[in-house]
Amino acid sequence: MRYVFKKILSSIITLFIVSLLVFVAFALIPGDPALSRLGTNATESALASLRHQMGLDKPLMVRYFIWLGSALRGDFGTSYSYSMSVTSMIADKLPITVTLMIYSLLLMIVISVPLGVYASYKEGTLIDRIIQIINQIVMAIPPFFSGILITLFFGMILRIFTPGGFVSISKNAVGFFGFMFFPSLAIALPKSAMVLNLLYSSLNGEKKKDYVRTAYSRGNRSKTVFFGHMLKNASIPTITFLGMALADIIAGSIIIEQVFGIPGLGRILLTSIQNRDYPVVIAIIMLVAVVVIICNLAVDIIYRIVDPRVEENT
Amino acid sequence: MEGLLHVEDLNIEFHDHIVPETVVYDFDLDMKEGEIVGLVGESGSGKSMSALAIAGLLSRHDMKKRGVIRFEGKSILDCPREELRQLQGDEICIIFQEPLTSLNPVKKIGWQVEESLRIHTDLPPEIRKQKALEALKEVELDDPQRVYDSYPHELSGGMRQRVMIAAAMVGNPKLLIADEPTTALDVTVQSQIVELLKKINKEKKTAILFISHDLSLVGQLCQRVLVMKNGYVVEEGTVEEIFDHPKESYTQKLISAIPKCEGAQDTVKNNPVLAEVEDVCVSFTKRKGLKKETKEVLKHVSLQINEGEILGLVGESGCGKSTLAKTIIGLLKPQSGRVNTKYPNTQMIFQDPYGSLNPTKTVGFIMEEPLKNLTEMSEQERRALAEEMITRVGLDPMYLSRYPSELSGGQRQRVCIATALMLKPKLIIADEPVSALDVTIQAEVLKLMSDLHNELGISFLFISHDLRVVYKMCDRILVMKSGEIVEEGNRSDIYEHPKHTYTKELLKSAGL
Repeated sequence: MRYVFKKILSSIITLFIVSLLVFVAFALIPGDPALSRLGTNATESALASLRHQMGLDKPLMVRYFIWLGSALRGDFGTSYSYSMSVTSMIADKLPITVTLMIYSLLLMIVISVPLGVYASYKEGTLIDRIIQIINQIVMAIPPFFSGILITLFFGMILRIFTPGGFVSISKNAVGFFGFMFFPSLAIALPKSAMVLNLLYSSLNGEKKKDYVRTAYSRGNRSKTVFFGHMLKNASIPTITFLGMALADIIAGSIIIEQVFGIPGLGRILLTSIQNRDYPVVIAIIMLVAVVVIICNLAVDIIYRIVDPRVEENT
Repeated sequence: MEGLLHVEDLNIEFHDHIVPETVVYDFDLDMKEGEIVGLVGESGSGKSMSALAIAGLLSRHDMKKRGVIRFEGKSILDCPREELRQLQGDEICIIFQEPLTSLNPVKKIGWQVEESLRIHTDLPPEIRKQKALEALKEVELDDPQRVYDSYPHELSGGMRQRVMIAAAMVGNPKLLIADEPTTALDVTVQSQIVELLKKINKEKKTAILFISHDLSLVGQLCQRVLVMKNGYVVEEGTVEEIFDHPKESYTQKLISAIPKCEGAQDTVKNNPVLAEVEDVCVSFTKRKGLKKETKEVLKHVSLQINEGEILGLVGESGCGKSTLAKTIIGLLKPQSGRVNTKYPNTQMIFQDPYGSLNPTKTVGFIMEEPLKNLTEMSEQERRALAEEMITRVGLDPMYLSRYPSELSGGQRQRVCIATALMLKPKLIIADEPVSALDVTIQAEVLKLMSDLHNELGISFLFISHDLRVVYKMCDRILVMKSGEIVEEGNRSDIYEHPKHTYTKELLKSAGL
C-alpha cells in the first residue's frame, strides 16, 4: 500500500511538471493570439483590451497559476477560434477517443497473447513458422496503412461496415461498437505483432532457464511447466511493453480518426494546432499526459504484483 | 541381483554440429539402496550429462543416447514420457549447482516445495503444507513458516540450497542426484550442506549420487567414487582405494592437485613496507525512497603489505574482501583513512577470466592497452614486451593474435596475469584468481604465481575463500569478517593456533 501511495504521489508531481512545461512552451511560441483572433486590421486599443480580457498582459507565472487553478476545477479556458468553453468542446469527443483506445488495447491483448503463447508452445513446428511469417508482415504495416487496407477489404469488398459511416453511441450503441471495431483493429494490429514477438521470444528465453529444468525434474507435464511456471515469468517484460504501447495507441488513434472519419479528439487537436487555438491544444495534451501517466502507474502496480523482486530495486 | 540403479554402456552424443560429438562413452554404474556414490571430474568431463540422463532430463532432440539406464527395473531411456514423469520428483530427485536460478523467482517457496506432492499425490492442501513445513524443518531451516511464505530472492544462498533439498526430499525419493550442489556456496555453508546430505542418507536411507569437481568434498561424503575424464570413467573404487592407491595417473594428478596443508615452512621476513592501509572505512549509500540506507562495508581496516611477501586475505563472500582490494588499487575512494603505496602500477587479477577480457579484442591488444595509456612506448617495443610476458606465463607468442573466446579458462587467466605484468608492478592484487578454474588448472596457475613471486620478487595480495589454497600460497594471512579484520598472523599461527572463533569455524568447515 505504501508503495502504491508513493507511486501516486510521484505521478502527481510528474503531472504538475508536465503542465508547467506545456504551458510555458506554448506561451513562448511566437505569435499573438489576440492578433490572430481579431485579424491584422484590428486597432491597437482593441488588441490591448482583448489581451487584457484574455489575461495575456499578466506575467507568465501568474497566468500559469490562474490557468492551473481553473484547470483543477475542470475549466480549461475558452477556445480562441470558437469562443466556447474548451471543456465542453472536449467533453463529448473524449468518450469516443477513450473507447477507441480501450478497444484497441483489448484487441491487442486478445490477438497477441494467445497467438504468442501458442507459437512458443509449438516452437519449431510449421504452425509456429506460419505465425512468425504473418507476424513479420503485420509488424511492418503502419496503423494508417492498415486502416486503409481494412477500409478497402472489410468496407469496400466485403461490405461489412460503411466507411465513414460513424454513428454516435446515443443513437445506436450496437452500430457504434460495430463500427469502432475496425479502426481499433487498425491501431491494434501492428502493435499486437510487436507484443506477440516480445512474448514469444521471452517465453522461448525462459525455456532455457534452470528453474524450468527443476520443474521438469519434479515430474511436471510439459503443459504445467509452460503455463504454471514460465508464463508468469515471461509476462514481466510484456507488461512493461504494454504500458509503452498505450502511449503509442493514443498517437495512432489521432491518425486513425482521420482515416475513418471519426469525430474524436484527434480531429479537434489537428484543427486547433492549425488555428493556433492554444487553450484547446494544451487541454488535449494534458489529457493525453494524464492517460499516459495513469497507464504507467497501472503498469508499475501490476508489475509489482507479478514480480516479487521489484521491491528490491525501487 | 540388480540394485536400485543400473547403468550400462551409456553413450551420449550431441548432434548439433556436422560431426556428432560424443560427450559420454560407455558409462557404467550400479547403485544399491542407501548408497552414496561420488562422481568426480573436471568441467566438460561428462559427469553432469550422465547425471541428467539418469534423471531423465536429457530430452533435447539433437542429443542421442544409447545404452541402458534402469531404475528399479524400469528403463529410463526408452520408457514413455508419461511413465518417466511418474518417477521424476517422486522416486528420483535432483538438486542443482545454482539454487537461485533453479528456483522459480516469481513463486513462493512453499508452492515450490509442495510441487512434487501436488503432482504425485492426492493429499489435501493442509496435509501438503504440513509436509512441506516438516521438510523445511528437516533441512534445518530456522523458521520454516517464514521460509514457506518467502520468495527465493529473499533467502541466502545456503538457505536456497536447503530449500532445494527440502523440495527434493518432501516425497521421500529413493535416489537423490546432487549436481555440484555446493560449488556456488561459501565454504562454511558447503560443509553444512554436505553434513545435511549425510544426515538425510542416514535417516531416510536415500541413495545419493553426488557430482562434484571437488575431490576433498567427495572424500568427506561418499563411500564409492567414479572418476571421469573426457567422457570416460577412468577409475572406480571405494573412497579409501581411490585416495590411498590411485591407479590412474589422472586420478593421481587430481589428488595431488588438492592443496595439502603440510610441510610449508614459515618464512619470517622483515622486509620494508610496500603498501599500507590505515584505518580505512568504506560505506555504500543506497536511497530507499526518502530515506538513505548506509551499509558499512569496511570498518576501520588497517594492514601492511611487505616487499616480497604473499599476503593472504580470507573470508566469505560479502565480507568486504573485494571492496578492500578495489580501495587499495584506487578504484574506490575510502570515506576515511589512507592508502599509501610505495610504487605505482599496482595491478589486479580478477576471479572470472571469461568476464574480465573484452571478447572483441585480441589478446595482444588487451595486453598492450595499459602501455598505450600510461607509457610512451613505440608499437614495436610494446609488441616485444607483450611477447616476452606471454612467454613468461607459459603461452606461445602466437596467442597474441587470438581472441579470448579461443582460449581455455586456464589460458585466459594466464593472459590476465601476463597483462598485469606488462607494467612491471611490484604488487599484484589477485582477487579469487583460481576460484573459477578446474582443480588441475588451479594448481598450474598457482604454480605460475609462486614462480613469478620467487623469480621477479613480485608481492601478492592473495584474496581467496579457499583456505587450502591460501595455506599453499601465503606467508602471512588476514582473516576478514563483516568488514573487519578479525585475525592476523603467520601461516602456522593461523592454521595451528587460531584464536578467533570465526577462524576456527572456517578451518573446521574446510576440514582442517
